[in-house]
Amino acid sequence: MSDSASGSVDKSVQVKLVLLGEAAVGKSSVVLRFVSNEFQANKEPTIGAAFLTQKCRLEDRVLRYEIWDTAGQERFHSLAPMYYRNAQAAVVVYDITKATSLEKAKSWVKELQRQANPNIVIALAGNKLDLVQPSALSTGAASSSESEDEADDATATPGETPGSSGEPESLRQVPREEAQAYATEAGLLFFETSAKTGEGIVDIFTEIAKKIPIEHILAATRGTARPGAAGSRADGARQEGGVNLEENAAKSKDACNC
Amino acid sequence: MSTISTALRNFKEPTKEQLTQIFFSLPSVGSLDGTEKTLDQHVEKMDINAVLSFGVQGVEDSYAGKLHIIAPYLAFTSLDKKSVRFTIPLSTIRRVERLNARAGIYALSLSTWHGMKIIVQLTSLRPTADQFCALLRDALKIELQRGQMKLVKGFVKTCYSEALVSETSTVADNEREDGSLISEEKENAAPRESTYHGGLGLRFKFPGDPKKLREASKIKLWATYLRAHGRNLTLLRYPQCTRLVQVGLPNRLRGEMWETLSGSMYLRFSNPGFYEDLLKKNEGRTSTSTEDIEKDLHRSLPEYAGYQSEEGISALRRVLQAYSFKNPELGYCQAMNILAAAILIYMSEEQAFWLLEVLCDRLLPGYYAPSMHGTLLDQRVFESLVQRCLPIIHDHFQVVDVQLSVASLPWFLSLFVYQQYANDICISDSRLLLLHGTQGVIPSRTRSVCSSIIYEPSPSFHSWPAILKINGEKLLQIQDDGGFLNLMRDYFASLGDSAHPNSTDPRARAITRFQELLLVSFREFSVITDDMILSERRRFRSEIINSIESFSKRSAIRNLKTLGRFTKEQAGLIYDALYMAMCILPPPGPVNPPPTLLTPHDGTEEKPETRIELSTFQYFLSEIATWARNEKIVMNGFQQRIDREIAEHEFIDRLFFFWDTSCRGALSFQDLVSGLDGVMFNDLMENIEWFFNLHDKNKDGFLTKDEVLTLSESFLFIFRYEVGDAYLGAVSRFMTNAFEYGDALLPTAEDADPNSERAHDGQGPEPTSPHFIESNQPYLNLATFRMVVLADEVLESFFETDLSGSFRLEPVPDAELPVSPSGLLGDLWSTIATDSNKKMFNMFTDEIGKTIGKHQVINRPSIGRYTKLEEPKARESLLTPSMRKSSSKASLTGSSTAASTATLAPSSSSTLTVDTKGQPAKDLPQLPSSESLSPMVQAVNARLMERTPFAIDDAKDDEDESDDEIDANDNDDRVMDEVDAFLEAHDSGLTDADKEVANDLLHAEPLK
Repeated sequence: MSDSASGSVDKSVQVKLVLLGEAAVGKSSVVLRFVSNEFQANKEPTIGAAFLTQKCRLEDRVLRYEIWDTAGQERFHSLAPMYYRNAQAAVVVYDITKATSLEKAKSWVKELQRQANPNIVIALAGNKLDLVQPSALSTGAASSSESEDEADDATATPGETPGSSGEPESLRQVPREEAQAYATEAGLLFFETSAKTGEGIVDIFTEIAKKIPIEHILAATRGTARPGAAGSRADGARQEGGVNLEENAAKSKDACNC
Repeated sequence: MSTISTALRNFKEPTKEQLTQIFFSLPSVGSLDGTEKTLDQHVEKMDINAVLSFGVQGVEDSYAGKLHIIAPYLAFTSLDKKSVRFTIPLSTIRRVERLNARAGIYALSLSTWHGMKIIVQLTSLRPTADQFCALLRDALKIELQRGQMKLVKGFVKTCYSEALVSETSTVADNEREDGSLISEEKENAAPRESTYHGGLGLRFKFPGDPKKLREASKIKLWATYLRAHGRNLTLLRYPQCTRLVQVGLPNRLRGEMWETLSGSMYLRFSNPGFYEDLLKKNEGRTSTSTEDIEKDLHRSLPEYAGYQSEEGISALRRVLQAYSFKNPELGYCQAMNILAAAILIYMSEEQAFWLLEVLCDRLLPGYYAPSMHGTLLDQRVFESLVQRCLPIIHDHFQVVDVQLSVASLPWFLSLFVYQQYANDICISDSRLLLLHGTQGVIPSRTRSVCSSIIYEPSPSFHSWPAILKINGEKLLQIQDDGGFLNLMRDYFASLGDSAHPNSTDPRARAITRFQELLLVSFREFSVITDDMILSERRRFRSEIINSIESFSKRSAIRNLKTLGRFTKEQAGLIYDALYMAMCILPPPGPVNPPPTLLTPHDGTEEKPETRIELSTFQYFLSEIATWARNEKIVMNGFQQRIDREIAEHEFIDRLFFFWDTSCRGALSFQDLVSGLDGVMFNDLMENIEWFFNLHDKNKDGFLTKDEVLTLSESFLFIFRYEVGDAYLGAVSRFMTNAFEYGDALLPTAEDADPNSERAHDGQGPEPTSPHFIESNQPYLNLATFRMVVLADEVLESFFETDLSGSFRLEPVPDAELPVSPSGLLGDLWSTIATDSNKKMFNMFTDEIGKTIGKHQVINRPSIGRYTKLEEPKARESLLTPSMRKSSSKASLTGSSTAASTATLAPSSSSTLTVDTKGQPAKDLPQLPSSESLSPMVQAVNARLMERTPFAIDDAKDDEDESDDEIDANDNDDRVMDEVDAFLEAHDSGLTDADKEVANDLLHAEPLK
């Protein structure tokens, strides 16, 4: 254990996690849901990458996720290695209402398996589950050719309620079974999620936490233990958000224990 | 599935002229369409030393500097390149007068549209000054003829500054001298209000509190300045202008000032209606860019009211789409949406479109390109600047392995108009919107968009070092990327806070962190000049390009559906060859695949994929296959070099279409890999089948007679430079046999009408006469073909090893990167060592070589089994030493019967193996025994002398001669090779002197 260092971070194990996937599939929303338990309909596209942290309790361990949320557009691809180097976990997100996004996810998985840390734990997440659930308010409007995010927006707009509740399943382009089969074959964790409703989000991170070879990480980090005062200022600067973190940590703790 | 771009290789350093143009924010010549280019090619350019004085005495100092005429613009910059400058279109110049001043002073008085008068005193020598004046006069005349002068009036009305000046001043008239112009303007004063362009801010309010921003006083200051110093097209930038920019632009004026200072106004001015036309022309068009744009429209400054309305969204859509239509290669990159959204608050669509053009093209070169090379390059430059200016921080980052670009990149890309979302989303109010430039970064907070201009090539380079410096101590505590990012995010979020909250002095407390940042940027980092950045960019360019290229190479290989039997390294070599070919013969732009109609996809869209066309393929193949190039070994007295040309032959075209399995008329990297995989790993039987299939056009399992002939020609093509006549003999034997057995087998193989078949049954082999009626009917099947091939030892060995071996994956010599040698010498060298110069040098030495009789040209053989002539690399032969001996003998003794008997002996056993493999060779049990063949071969060889010439014939003609000469030396292969070389050389027209030289060589060689 890196005693002195982790003393301030209460014995947490740091896990570097990277999010990858096609543009506008909801990577940032997934993170935002996990980190702040919030949802924003129109999030600005991520440029370059964003960085967030969140703690997650698993049994007697505290994991501190360092989450790198990357840009999805194809041309940012060449920057990705900068972010997934040394990552211990990856969440590859696709949009269940868009078949091409699964193809892109597969190519990300392929790249990770060849280029990234060999022990990396990869989870595949099919996002936007709310769009195909009949219980959702109304998702008919989303069948327009508009993008998914606009679709989200449309669901929130009260004026538009053309579709009946039976309709939504047709929006689904990626059958759960197909993605599940692929994930099993490629050795990935698999989830269908909705960043909007929060469904399945925490599960991703919990399952990753379970699967991660924590001892391995500890062994690896022991060598490069932080000096005592390290990052104290940075932590101080982070305080404002820290409050949020605590709440969520509690939430995710519950989820983790179940 | 990937695209391969060679665009990076085409980068050229801007010339001095271009740098001047960039400096004056002039639109680059012919940037819009070809016609304009040819017109402007001979743009008149001249610069002259001058002293600029402002028309109104005492208002401004005089400045010495340089006056440039770059038609259709007139530009001036003071000597320090900072204090004063202007760029005005010639069409706004209303009057030029030569001043009658004291003797020896040559001065011009220029009056502009807005009534400003400036006096330039030309301080160069008189003839130069005269020449300059003449040039100016001519250029002005041209402008008048083009009717540009008339456009000014209408254009000026679209500028807010006009309204501003007339609103705020009732005394304007007094200050002007040119009465006629002003009365004209006055008439239009009433409707003017509504004619000027403005952004969404006019309707949806500008961000920020106008009171806090002291809009009113800013407006007043600017109005005063613009009234006196010209505006929009005719703005003169005196030091006060820079100061005012630093104080801040009023919201209403901001869009126009951006336009003026960035030079995008000149684009709008010289291309009226372009934006609307562009949109109209491309109406309804969709592309990957438009799809991407749709995804982001609602995600661009979503908190701004304008972007919650359809009006704002559709304006944004139009601007981004128009840009992507105009620049299909760049298309659309995330971050442009945020930038465009910010701009649109202050500018009309048309204005925003042109500003975006200038931004992406000039101010942020390559930032948004598909490879983002500009971004990566500037990150590298930034790192190096930090290393230089802030070594302590740099060293610390090195120690803890933090990458600067992790944090700086997003802001470089979005020019700070970007809110990195935070853990604490509640403070998203504190969106930062700081469009800034080197000359001024103006505070902004909580949507108080307040910013300055963008008019230097490197907007981010001053503020970033300043940011790092201000946060220096905290940065030294940073341990990882995450900490760094968090620190930066928090710093940006707190920019509006007081920089010295605990100070007792209320004035110090009032200074925001932003102002502090500005101060530091200007005071301490103005040492970072544009020149410095340009030279740093030059320094790192090739490094960045290399890393981008190797990345795209790796991902191209990774994205292959199958590597076949190749290793990754081999696939890399194929990629290199392809890349090389693409550099030299670039494929036509991104192929919009119309054939997708033919290939129905399972709902998944085809990703754009780079495909090469036939001409590029020919080059590619010439890199890989020895027979696909003509290599001439040229020796003159000075040098020995290999001239390589791309061979053209129907065989190569055939291969191209053979590999084009999806019938697109173009090959992808995958097609090439699969294609090569289909031949390079083949054994004897597979190769024979491959070759057969290649020529079986309709894939029915039969070659027609025509195809048999084509196939023979393919043989001859491949063997065209082989030394000796072994191959030629083999091909002729092949034809003989093919037709013989083909005829013999025809009834069983195919129920073609028997009469025609009978007709030729007895006729014997006539290889060069495709006279059969059914020459396009199925004729020869694979089994027969195989049999015929195996009947010949030479062909057998060709198919066994040489065919596969003729495809060689060798490292491609590094294609020349746009090297950026620094300094005068480097420049000199790069101008000297161009390809054409090299060619000239080669020609020159050749000529000398010819005159002194040392010039030799030798065609390098493709297979080279029978000679080791000039082989650059030792190549293992699969023949056993004894076989090798016999085969080289064969080449020496050529068509002599004895030799062919000897060499053909093993072939009968080969046919036996065929039989055991169960081939249906019922009609000819052991027919192709060498004894029975040899007379036939002789016959054919005799006939070959008379037949219509094939490509190989030139080589052939000398064989008899060679036989005679060679007899003496047939025990030493090495010597023989020299002889062959000599003979080859002789073949290409050597003089007697040459012969002598060659003979000398011949005798000299064995001693070595």
